[in-house]
Amino acid sequence: MGKKKEAKPRKLNRKDQSLKRLENFKKEIVTDHHTVPIDVLCSRLETDIERGLSQYKARQLFMETGPNALTPSRKTPEYIKFIKTITEGFSLLLWIGASLCIIAAVIEYVYRKKVDTDNLLLAAVLVLIIIMTGIFMYYQQNKSSKIMDSFATMIPQKAEVIRDGQQITVNVKDLVVGDLVDMKFGDRIPADVRITKSQGFKVDNSSITGENEPLLRTNQCTNENILETRNVAFFSTNAVEGTAQGIVIMCGDHTVMGKIAGLTARLHPSITPLARELNRFMTIITFWAVILGIIFGVASIAIGYPWIDSALFIIGIIVSNVPEGLLATVTLSLTVTAKKMALKNCLVKNLEAVETLGSTNVVCSDKTGTLTQNKMTVCHLWYNGDVVQADISEDQYDARKYTETPGFDILIRCATLCNRAEFINTRTPRKYIMKWEVRGDASEAAILKFIELTRLEGDPDEFRKAHKKLIELPFNSTSKIQLSIHALANNCLMVMKGAPERILERCKTIFINDDVEELSDELRQTCEKACFELAARGERILGFCDMEMKDTYTYSYPFTIDPLPNFPTEGLRFVGFISLIDPPRPEVHNAVETCKTAGIKVIMVTGDHPVTAKAIAKEVGIITTDSIEDAALFYNADHDETKDAIVVSGTTLRELQQDELDAILYTYNEIVFARTSPTQKLQIVEGLQRLKNIVAVTGDGVNDSPALKKADIGIAMGISGSEVSQQSADMILMDDNFASIITGIEEGRKIFDNLKKSIVYVLASNIAELAPCLMFIVCNIPLPLGILAILCIDVLTDMLPAISLAYEKAESDIMKRTPRNPNVDNLVTFRLYFLAYCHIGVLEACAGFFVYFLIMYEYGFKPNRLFGLRPEWDTYYINDLEDSYGQEWSYEERKQLEYTCSTAFMIAVVVCQWGDVLACKTRLNSIMVQGMTNWFMNVSILIETLLAIFLTYTPYMSYLKFYPVGLHCWLYALPFSGLILLFDEYRKFCIRNYPRGYFYRETYY
Amino acid sequence: MPTSNSNSSNVKIRQPSLSLSKQEDLLNVQTSYYFKPEDMKLTDKQKFQKLIWDPEHKQFLGRNATSWSKICLFYLVFYGMLAALVAICMWVFFQTLDPRIPKWQMDSSIIGTNPGLGFRPMPTADNAESTLIWFEGSNKTNFNKWVNNLSAFLDKYYTPGKTEKGTASIRKCSYNQPPKRGQVCDFDVRLWGECSPDKFFNYHRNAPCIFLKLNRIYGWVPEYYNDIHDLPENMPDDLKKHIASVKPEERNTIWISCEGENPADIEYLGPISYHPQVQGFPGYYYPYENSEGYLSPLVAVQFLRPVSGIVINIECKAWAKNIKHSRADRTGSVHFELLID
Repeated sequence: MGKKKEAKPRKLNRKDQSLKRLENFKKEIVTDHHTVPIDVLCSRLETDIERGLSQYKARQLFMETGPNALTPSRKTPEYIKFIKTITEGFSLLLWIGASLCIIAAVIEYVYRKKVDTDNLLLAAVLVLIIIMTGIFMYYQQNKSSKIMDSFATMIPQKAEVIRDGQQITVNVKDLVVGDLVDMKFGDRIPADVRITKSQGFKVDNSSITGENEPLLRTNQCTNENILETRNVAFFSTNAVEGTAQGIVIMCGDHTVMGKIAGLTARLHPSITPLARELNRFMTIITFWAVILGIIFGVASIAIGYPWIDSALFIIGIIVSNVPEGLLATVTLSLTVTAKKMALKNCLVKNLEAVETLGSTNVVCSDKTGTLTQNKMTVCHLWYNGDVVQADISEDQYDARKYTETPGFDILIRCATLCNRAEFINTRTPRKYIMKWEVRGDASEAAILKFIELTRLEGDPDEFRKAHKKLIELPFNSTSKIQLSIHALANNCLMVMKGAPERILERCKTIFINDDVEELSDELRQTCEKACFELAARGERILGFCDMEMKDTYTYSYPFTIDPLPNFPTEGLRFVGFISLIDPPRPEVHNAVETCKTAGIKVIMVTGDHPVTAKAIAKEVGIITTDSIEDAALFYNADHDETKDAIVVSGTTLRELQQDELDAILYTYNEIVFARTSPTQKLQIVEGLQRLKNIVAVTGDGVNDSPALKKADIGIAMGISGSEVSQQSADMILMDDNFASIITGIEEGRKIFDNLKKSIVYVLASNIAELAPCLMFIVCNIPLPLGILAILCIDVLTDMLPAISLAYEKAESDIMKRTPRNPNVDNLVTFRLYFLAYCHIGVLEACAGFFVYFLIMYEYGFKPNRLFGLRPEWDTYYINDLEDSYGQEWSYEERKQLEYTCSTAFMIAVVVCQWGDVLACKTRLNSIMVQGMTNWFMNVSILIETLLAIFLTYTPYMSYLKFYPVGLHCWLYALPFSGLILLFDEYRKFCIRNYPRGYFYRETYY
Repeated sequence: MPTSNSNSSNVKIRQPSLSLSKQEDLLNVQTSYYFKPEDMKLTDKQKFQKLIWDPEHKQFLGRNATSWSKICLFYLVFYGMLAALVAICMWVFFQTLDPRIPKWQMDSSIIGTNPGLGFRPMPTADNAESTLIWFEGSNKTNFNKWVNNLSAFLDKYYTPGKTEKGTASIRKCSYNQPPKRGQVCDFDVRLWGECSPDKFFNYHRNAPCIFLKLNRIYGWVPEYYNDIHDLPENMPDDLKKHIASVKPEERNTIWISCEGENPADIEYLGPISYHPQVQGFPGYYYPYENSEGYLSPLVAVQFLRPVSGIVINIECKAWAKNIKHSRADRTGSVHFELLID
């Protein structure tokens, strides 16, 4: 904290600070725990290389340092959260209204000693509304955050620890620095561990680096940088092979992972577009309401109304303008959608994120684990001079094409024997072989599964047993080959696999054209060509060769490889290649296609090799053209401007200036970033955001998490994704199904559309609520619509239909139009106001006044009598006000008439809102196309009506100023309701048929 | 990293290349889609000014003259049509209503069948919401406002047919000669005796006249207390005696009684005289059927010797079998205060 203060905290905003930290990230981790000799480390940590920590010491340390877990970001107390919900947005306006009411009542009491029940009641109702919506929103927010909390605690883990020489199993969070831990393949590393003993121990650091290359861990310190050295295994990475023992050097938040997690926690996510839109809407409404209120309040005082009446206008105008139910509608429609998404296995952590997805126009996707399955799979075979596609389906239908061919069995025999992978569980169900768990290296596992699928030689396990392994030389990165010798019936067979060029150089013959031939230079070139072709597709290629050994090498021969093989390892017979790939998820291609039709750019950002990246990008449709620009040429004069796609590697990216990156991001429709670092990912996202894009980032590794957090919406993978990435994300795809993003986009757009519809619906009735107030002041007619009736419309009858619009199904064009332009296509636009206020609203107000004047006439007050009548009407001591028929009305009688008219006005608005809600169902389509299948809406219209009936006809409602009205009052407003619907149908017809016509320009929202 | 200022010195400066100039174009294209580049340079204030009046495009609030005239024309037509539609609807519905006979009457209407009782003079606007009649008998300018108020109210009684035009057939009515259909009864102002404008309604003598009137309700027919053996118990004894003293054919009357509200008030109020002689509204004025020239019957109540300097609470009641007295709804009875300085 102290440092922060020194460093001009006002100048640097949070984002800059976070960025600085991010850039300094690598420098931050400075330690020598991995470089000092092991006994120095032991004495430093007061531990023992054989016996581990003592129980006592461990307990003591635990008390000091706390659990070995990442501290979740600090939480705001519940009551603050609640207070926030009741002071945010419109609530503030309502508070003003309520306090005006109370002030009016207090002054009334002080001056006249009269308890002003009307104003107190109004204040109470307003406060009740604020608290109710507050509770509702708080409940919704709480619910969604609880889902996430439960999700976070889902994964308790165990670790094997040696303390006092005893091996015990403890919870990972109980580990302390200095603990001696045992790790084996399949485990998640429990803390940052310095390896002391290792047997072929390999870890997958992909959750930190993004690369799922298994990395060897030994007890040798190979680098000063802790991230590069071989003798440290990092917290929350996965062990894939072998076993190891080591000493915990860092725990919890101090681990590398913890630091990255802390880094991402500090990156504050940018405000969601929906929140931005809502804020904007609220500002507009607040200004509008306050200005109107002040203008009319001042005007009425100037005209000479008592100030109590003026306060009443202000309250009336504020109350009628504030869409009290809107925030509840927003929250609810988001929750509804989040639930719907949850059914599709999308967990939405941040409710507003759902909408963000809808306005997304760029998706940055990680490759490994997101676009691809993160599972090596055999893809192609090359033997006997031909490339064949490997069939990895369960039914093996296509496999029949090649299983019968000569050469295949030779390749498979070689591949079976020269393979150390094993199935972990019994393989009883011969289904889903691709999902069986395998012990061993990813590529060997892939080959083993492929063999199991073909079953050419029967059970590979049995086959291996039948051909006993006599000796084995494991794969190592210097020789890049793996060989083993197996006993055949009479002699021995040497099988070898490895990098194709290493294999080829050891071969003398080749199995080709159904025969063994000399491996001439020409054939060698053929092989290499095949190899290049496969490599160009981003596949990883393994070469296979074998040799039946001479009689001298029987199975009793003492084979040894130490220090050098005592048998020939050259002059083998080349049998073929097997190429592997991490295949794209099957649904990805369609999803990418849909994104493109929906005007969304899909950018691949991967840590993988450019060639592989390009191949996968082509396969999933991110790149659709063959003319791909090389980013290295971009800033040269001779680059080709016609190209549409570009592949940018991390090294090139490092050289690019900010504006050049922006230009790339803007120019090319199909972009692949390869070999990128976490910082670069962040940089790309920021570049996109600079160009005012709304960016979605998908990813699974820890390396993606800063970008996930920075993105407008981060999407993490639920199964393969790392914990940190899930914590940084706004949305989690629980089934790793990329296509869910499409659903998300559709739902998000739908939310935005439906929210607009909902706002139009709610705003339309505002005019019908505002106009009576104006007429009251301007024309001096008895108040046509009471404030309580306004409140009832806003929070009772209008609420459900407004919410029901959230359930409206998407319109036909939703995934065919381009994403909204966040600078122009706001939630509320001028056009929307125009439509709601000047068209529908005016019609509703007309209906209300029509009913009002009609009823007044029926009871004796002709319209001409009403104008200017207000002062007498509202004077208490005038007990004999004459109507147009010469009848004289007492104060109470005419007030009852006023309330009856107000009730009728309310009913007129409710009836018009039927038409309004039907008109708001669609923005473009005819209601005939859309249909009436939204049962929530149908029911909500019914409930709206029932509520109005309840308010009107329940006996004691007269306390709330509702009086029963004749049934005919309902009918009077019906033509107007129909007119609203018809007019809107006409308007939409014009929009559809004259897409640049008047109605489109002025009213298409 | 290009993003941070601190590193800018480290970034090597590349020669401006073709790509850079192209990139400028691109950004221009882009900005024209996302935001206008010139807008970016403007401050909020300038942006606002530009919104109000954009001299470059001659736009006021984002619209030029043509656009404004178009939209105004549209709304003129649209609202014109709407207004016409509403007017037509209103006209059609108004045709179903009789201009002389209210659609809802008595109990089917809100006005009900329990008329309110009113009094004159009315408290003036400067003392609104009060029912206090407060004057100084010795100060002419002071009591004159009450007198003028009354005079104005009674104007149409002194000059019948002035407010209503032409055709009304006004005739003199009596209990034996009720008006025929289409006829209205006149009102003999002489019946008020002392309470005439010429005599300042006796305000100058501290014996003020208060006029009482019953709210008109279309078609309402009173049910008279015309049987002296069937009078309600809470009816004041004075009134009972009065009814007994009235000729039987004149008993079809809505009786009026005024009293001090409390015993003290009764004492302060002193004797009361009622004009006309029959203490109430004669039955031949009912029912009211909105005939032209109809005048509500009035009763002038004169408080002969009220005590000065004290607020006296007075309650007057109208008596008929179908009048219920409710102080809260102010029907059938009326309350006012009298204060004479």
